[in-house]
Amino acid sequence: MPASPAGFRPLRLFSFSLMLLIGASGRAATPIDYAKEIRPLFQERCYSCHGALAQKAKLRVDSGAFLMKGGVLVPGKPDESEILARVSAEDEDTRMPPEGHPLKPEQIAKLKRWIEEGAKVPADDAPEPDPRDHWSFRPVQRPPVPTVANPAIAIRNPIDAFVAAKWQEKDLKPVGPAERRVLLRRVYLDLVGLPPTTAQMEAFLQDNRPDAYEQVVEQLLASPQYGERWGRHFLDIWRYSDWWGLGAELRNSQKHLWHWRDWAVESFNANLGYDEMMRQMIAADELYPTEPEKLRATGYLARPYFLFNRTTWLDEVVEHTTKGFLGMTFNCSKCHDHKYDPVSQVNYYQFRAIFEPYQVRTDLIPGEADIKKAGLPRAFDCNLDAKTPFHIRGDERNADTNRVITPGLPAFLAPRGLSIEPVKLPSAAFEPLRRPEIAATLLRQTELKWARALLEHASREERARGRSKIIEWALVGPSGNALAAARFELKQIEAAIADPGKAAVSLRGAIKSAESNVETAESRSRQFPATSTGRRTALARWLSDRENPLTARVAVNHLWLRHFGNPLVSTVFEFGRKGTLPTHPELLNWLAAEFMDHQWSFKHLHRLMVTSSVYRLSSSNLNAVESTQRDPENRYLWRMNPQRLQAQAIRDSLLHLAGELDLTRGGPPIAMAQQENSRRRAMYFFHSHNEHNKLLDVFDNANVLDCYRRTESIVPQQALALWNSKLALEMAGKINDQLHTRHKDADDARFVTAAFELVLGTPPTSNELATCEEALIDLRAALPKLNEPQKTQRARLQVILALINHNDFITVR
Amino acid sequence: MLRRDFLGFSGVALAAMLHKDGYTVGAAEGRAPNGKPHFTPQAKSVIWLFMNGGVSHMETFDPKPMLTKYAGKSINETPFQDVQNPEKLKLARVTVVNDANGQQRNKLYPLQVGFKKYGQSGIEVSDWLPHTGACIDDLAVIRSTWTTDDNHGAQTQFHTGRHMLDGEYPTLGAWVHYGLGSLNENLPQFISMGNREYWNLKDGHYLGPAHDAVPVRVDPANPLDFGKPELPVSASEQKLGFELSGKLNKLRATEYPNDPALDARIKSYELAFRMQKSLPEVLDFTKETEETKKLYGMDRNETKSFGMQLLAARRLVERGVRFIQIQHGAGGAGVWDAHGGLKANHAANCLAVDKPIGGLLTDLKRSGLLKDTIVVFATEFGRTPGTQGSDGRDHHIYGFSVWMAGGGIKGGLVHGATDEIGFHAVEDRHYVTDVHATILNQLGLDSRKLEIPGRKRLDIDHGTAIKAILG
Repeated sequence: MPASPAGFRPLRLFSFSLMLLIGASGRAATPIDYAKEIRPLFQERCYSCHGALAQKAKLRVDSGAFLMKGGVLVPGKPDESEILARVSAEDEDTRMPPEGHPLKPEQIAKLKRWIEEGAKVPADDAPEPDPRDHWSFRPVQRPPVPTVANPAIAIRNPIDAFVAAKWQEKDLKPVGPAERRVLLRRVYLDLVGLPPTTAQMEAFLQDNRPDAYEQVVEQLLASPQYGERWGRHFLDIWRYSDWWGLGAELRNSQKHLWHWRDWAVESFNANLGYDEMMRQMIAADELYPTEPEKLRATGYLARPYFLFNRTTWLDEVVEHTTKGFLGMTFNCSKCHDHKYDPVSQVNYYQFRAIFEPYQVRTDLIPGEADIKKAGLPRAFDCNLDAKTPFHIRGDERNADTNRVITPGLPAFLAPRGLSIEPVKLPSAAFEPLRRPEIAATLLRQTELKWARALLEHASREERARGRSKIIEWALVGPSGNALAAARFELKQIEAAIADPGKAAVSLRGAIKSAESNVETAESRSRQFPATSTGRRTALARWLSDRENPLTARVAVNHLWLRHFGNPLVSTVFEFGRKGTLPTHPELLNWLAAEFMDHQWSFKHLHRLMVTSSVYRLSSSNLNAVESTQRDPENRYLWRMNPQRLQAQAIRDSLLHLAGELDLTRGGPPIAMAQQENSRRRAMYFFHSHNEHNKLLDVFDNANVLDCYRRTESIVPQQALALWNSKLALEMAGKINDQLHTRHKDADDARFVTAAFELVLGTPPTSNELATCEEALIDLRAALPKLNEPQKTQRARLQVILALINHNDFITVR
Repeated sequence: MLRRDFLGFSGVALAAMLHKDGYTVGAAEGRAPNGKPHFTPQAKSVIWLFMNGGVSHMETFDPKPMLTKYAGKSINETPFQDVQNPEKLKLARVTVVNDANGQQRNKLYPLQVGFKKYGQSGIEVSDWLPHTGACIDDLAVIRSTWTTDDNHGAQTQFHTGRHMLDGEYPTLGAWVHYGLGSLNENLPQFISMGNREYWNLKDGHYLGPAHDAVPVRVDPANPLDFGKPELPVSASEQKLGFELSGKLNKLRATEYPNDPALDARIKSYELAFRMQKSLPEVLDFTKETEETKKLYGMDRNETKSFGMQLLAARRLVERGVRFIQIQHGAGGAGVWDAHGGLKANHAANCLAVDKPIGGLLTDLKRSGLLKDTIVVFATEFGRTPGTQGSDGRDHHIYGFSVWMAGGGIKGGLVHGATDEIGFHAVEDRHYVTDVHATILNQLGLDSRKLEIPGRKRLDIDHGTAIKAILG
């Protein structure tokens, strides 16, 4: 990044020429400050090759001592200093740095003057730290929980202790707890993505047990809607997308990918450990080769499928597997060694090599032989000897054929490397026909065809003679094309079942997706291999190893972000040296350790987070002048962060409050044309790169290519959508009708109060109430043609709409 | 006065405002721009005309008589055989192996149309484009643009500088929207019209959805999605409802003071309400004279649809909309994609756009708007000098034409050149982002100052302004 803030360049040039003028007239200028003016320049342009990460030409320039030692700098003598000659060289082959712009003239002039002035460095000058010592690359160790004297909140669990300790350190005072109503709405939306109904709210308000809140948390975590809410969060990170292409041609992702989505929902509901989730997503085909329920998880690898270009496909796998699970940007090292982290370009291709053998196929689902109608898309190792290329400067056209790339990981992260053991697969895994239910499905389909052909062929007379006669007649062997074809097919199926190893492609019970648009017939018809390389199992084991320094930290941070509205590490997919430091490093470590020590249980973490006192704080900064001044961004959580609801939660909440939401779970996605009138949860809508719901889009629906964190935009189209869409108007109408039924003959005050409580979760303030009452007078006047009670009911519809359009309806306070 | 528009309070901008986004923490560069140009601008608005599918440069703005002379000859039988020197073909990136299109076409195909000299500059323009020709003295024709991808992903590339397969990047319009403040608080500042179904519908990408173009239909009754109630609600009821919502939101500020999201939402509602009223007004042409409508070709079926979009564009520019992006030509990968039947295809498509474009330029000029408005005519690539099938031309990335006018761009000039058969750009070569850089330069923006930390852009993404065409 250029270090100059916008708009300052002309000024700088001016002061530079001014400086020259002063210099010429012999007056002393302020000496160049190494720490402020030289070191940042070196850091930006030189350290990646001449620093702790790499020492090209055995040179380091990340400290004064190293510079002298390297012999490229002679204090006081710019003309003898090679460093100056190299940065100002005209010839591109000798000029440094070799990539990017040459240094600017003013930067070179500064460097020169600094050398002239004796190349002074401060006494505490030290080389940059070893990248391997970066905080997130060190093992996770559980820190002691701090004891906080006179804490400002009840210390309910260690989260409170860590956060309260920071408040004391930063001299911050937390706000008070949120009202019970606000808290209940918060935790409902947070855990299940739906607001509480009036009845649920009333029950909670009347529950005087000391653990009433904890009881609610347990209920919510046990409800099936929890898995939908949190499954969807992680499907953002894992880039869930239904298939897309051009017209009917599939180019990206896979049909029937929803099986993986359902696996995610079910896994969250079952509290499957995150370690096991990763193992299943990356390597279920090796670890559980004959368990279709678990094979669904490898939809994670079916998702990046791309018809046209294998490098693009695997680039996505590398980029998002490292960003999503490790918080590492391996993609930066596709063309050159990573500029910030010890990840070399070779490491990039080694990581790719882990995935090189895999392809995607769709297995039949028992009971449906037509792969277009149903099937299970999944990964499998197909080309066991596939070579991974090394693309010089990342250019696919320019592969280094002398280099042999073997699967592996950067040593600083995985000192013991990957232990890869090939996996011998049971025959039912590579010959699906050996699964009786698959054989039966194919057989039955062909038998049906045969029977249908038979019936069609039989003459009216033969039919009249009855079923047994037809069979008798059939056995005699009448001729007929359809029948002959069916009989032939049946024979083939029987032969295939008897010897699955020789089955034709269409009769194997699984179809491989084209490896590319130019795949040969020979490659298409090849049998599935009887072994798998075990590379992905090795990767999955390493990712889910207690020793892995990154996996748990990254996951905990994602959870924290979604509960508290702000992550502990704000660069959620970048935990490397380019990322930001955690606001609460000890808390992050503690949570990561706690997570792993509790079987990587998400529910355990949710429970800790939402029952902490910190989570229960108000999000208002009213009367918190000092804290606001000291920490305006609320980095230290002296109050709760308000959060904009995600697109799906906004739509589902509307339906839910109107009593319209259909909580049916799972199954094929709801087609675009059916979405407007569908009452199912929005996470079941068809959602791909090409086709996405218009209403959800307005509220920043997940981008299927990259969504580590939803955007929270505020644009006028959102207002239009919530005012004008059929959905909003229809649901507002239903909420209005429902309130009128529930509160018969209610006056405006009672109606408005009930409406506030339902839509926003809180009763109106006296000002809000008065404002609504006044508006209702005007609204009635605007409806001269209507009579009571229709007039009142119609006027009140606008109150409901105004509440749906209230900032605090789409916000979690 | 420049105002930071409310559309901008989102995504990166809001995050930067709240110092929420990771990359912006502590990085001065990450702050959202203040909406002011970085240096004195020469233009205020852009009308971006994009011809989907690939316009033949040789049949529009870059006549090549040698094609007719050597018609039917294979390139290697002609004096121009060096154009296929593998070294020179290297810039092509093949993303789809064995694609039916995007191939070398060796047999030269004669020009399908005549050319005439127009204006004082005497620049030659195709007989299919007489109205554009009549405005030639206001146009800077760039005959030396090149790109790298031989498939229609190059459409995205022309808008973002990157091919679809490189990932998703903000389009030029999004950068302008991100960098510059609003000139009219009743209208969105970045509007798109026409067909862009082949390439992605988004513009903002990492700048955030707040910087996506607002898609608008030239239909005052139904100009934008959710632009009017989808169930019956009277205007007076809605107005009262809107007012109530504004009041209630403001009252929340007593309980939740200094909440930038709440403030931004209140403002975005106000804009929404105004937009809902002002957009139909802009798209209502009843106050335009018959002469004006004719000028845009609205009296003929062939030219009506594009003419209406261009008249809408003028009306939007007049009201201070910054960037109007109009894509011409639906169907497949774009209507200009003449793999076969080039003559009929281009004759019809030129007919559809020529009169409206001539009308737009004339109208902008006579109303004085042209000096503040850049009009761009672009396409994703040109077409092959060789024939595809019997009467078509294939995609051609090595050299093709675009033109720009207004907003401080010099008119009546040709910049750059292709070789004698229109194969390679040989003089003053420009990658597509040079067009972006030229526009940003005229708008007073320095793209390097707009960069988002963590989203490093390369030199080629920024491009270099084409100084030779600037007045």
